[in-house]
Amino acid sequence: MTSLQIEMTVAAIILFLIIIIGLAKNSLSIRSSITWLLLPIAFIIIAIFPGPLESFAHWLGFETLSNFIFLVVIAILILICFFLTIILSRQQNKITKLIQEVSILKHDKKNNEKQK
Amino acid sequence: MKILLIIPAHNEEASIEKTINSIKNYDYIVINDGSTDHTKQILEENNYNHLDLCYNLGIGGAVQTGYKYAYKNNYDIAIQLDADGQHDAESIKDLIKPIIDGETDFTIGSRFIRKNSNNFKSSFLRRVGIRLISNMIFVFSRKRIYDTTSGFRAANKEVIKYFANHYPKEYPEPISDFELVKLGYKIIEVPARMHERQAGKSSIHSWKSAYYVINVLISIFIIKIRRIKK
Repeated sequence: MTSLQIEMTVAAIILFLIIIIGLAKNSLSIRSSITWLLLPIAFIIIAIFPGPLESFAHWLGFETLSNFIFLVVIAILILICFFLTIILSRQQNKITKLIQEVSILKHDKKNNEKQK
Repeated sequence: MKILLIIPAHNEEASIEKTINSIKNYDYIVINDGSTDHTKQILEENNYNHLDLCYNLGIGGAVQTGYKYAYKNNYDIAIQLDADGQHDAESIKDLIKPIIDGETDFTIGSRFIRKNSNNFKSSFLRRVGIRLISNMIFVFSRKRIYDTTSGFRAANKEVIKYFANHYPKEYPEPISDFELVKLGYKIIEVPARMHERQAGKSSIHSWKSAYYVINVLISIFIIKIRRIKK
């Protein structure tokens, strides 16, 4: 077993535990945990069978498997960040709408009370 | 015809009373955009018709709330008016006349047509920026709008409905102008008197102007390629 395999196994276990704790505490929704669960699963698979990925990395021109993994993980993080920004924009729109609706409802309520 | 003035107010304690007193014979709604000064107390003590946004939404979100209110209460014409006294209440009738006559869907109170009727002087750089935005809209739509950043505007029922559902959150004036042009609404620019700000700070100032213009130009480009529906 190479040190890379051991490190990836440890990283996968830690990541897995963090996700499980998040789920147990109800601070992470099941839906969004699934994306994150794929990461430690992928780590474990690579740690157990590094062969095919290593030859793939060499074929792409990477000197070592670890370089290839770095690149892929960074790419995944950037993607996740981008999707988070999309989610954030959607949430922002919803919050704006809620604030607007609440202000109009409050105004209506006040007017109704005045009329009584 | 039911006419409503939409007055967004963010920290306008110094000028809000004067502005409302100048338009007392119209229906109006003040949108208190999460002010942290005494704007809210002034509105409540004087029993001015107002909405309170519990958090600050910025000018786009605040004005859209006004359009939503106009739409829900079945207004025929909605006019945006700044709370800082920059827009002259005397010009309101000029602004709404083309809409009442059915000539147009939307009017913009303009500082740049018929200059002599105007005592508004804006800085050179600001005029360059407005000119740039105007040119970009012209290139993309073949429609010339001179005062693209004017916040003194009037909308008919159809546009009220559109704005109630779609209104840009940032840099709303030039972007919504362009959206309306793209959707085929008729827009007329009307000369309007504007004063220097009586109090408070403009939302666009100094070095932020360049940032503002660049953002607007990019946004207009995005609106140009984006599919939008009425």
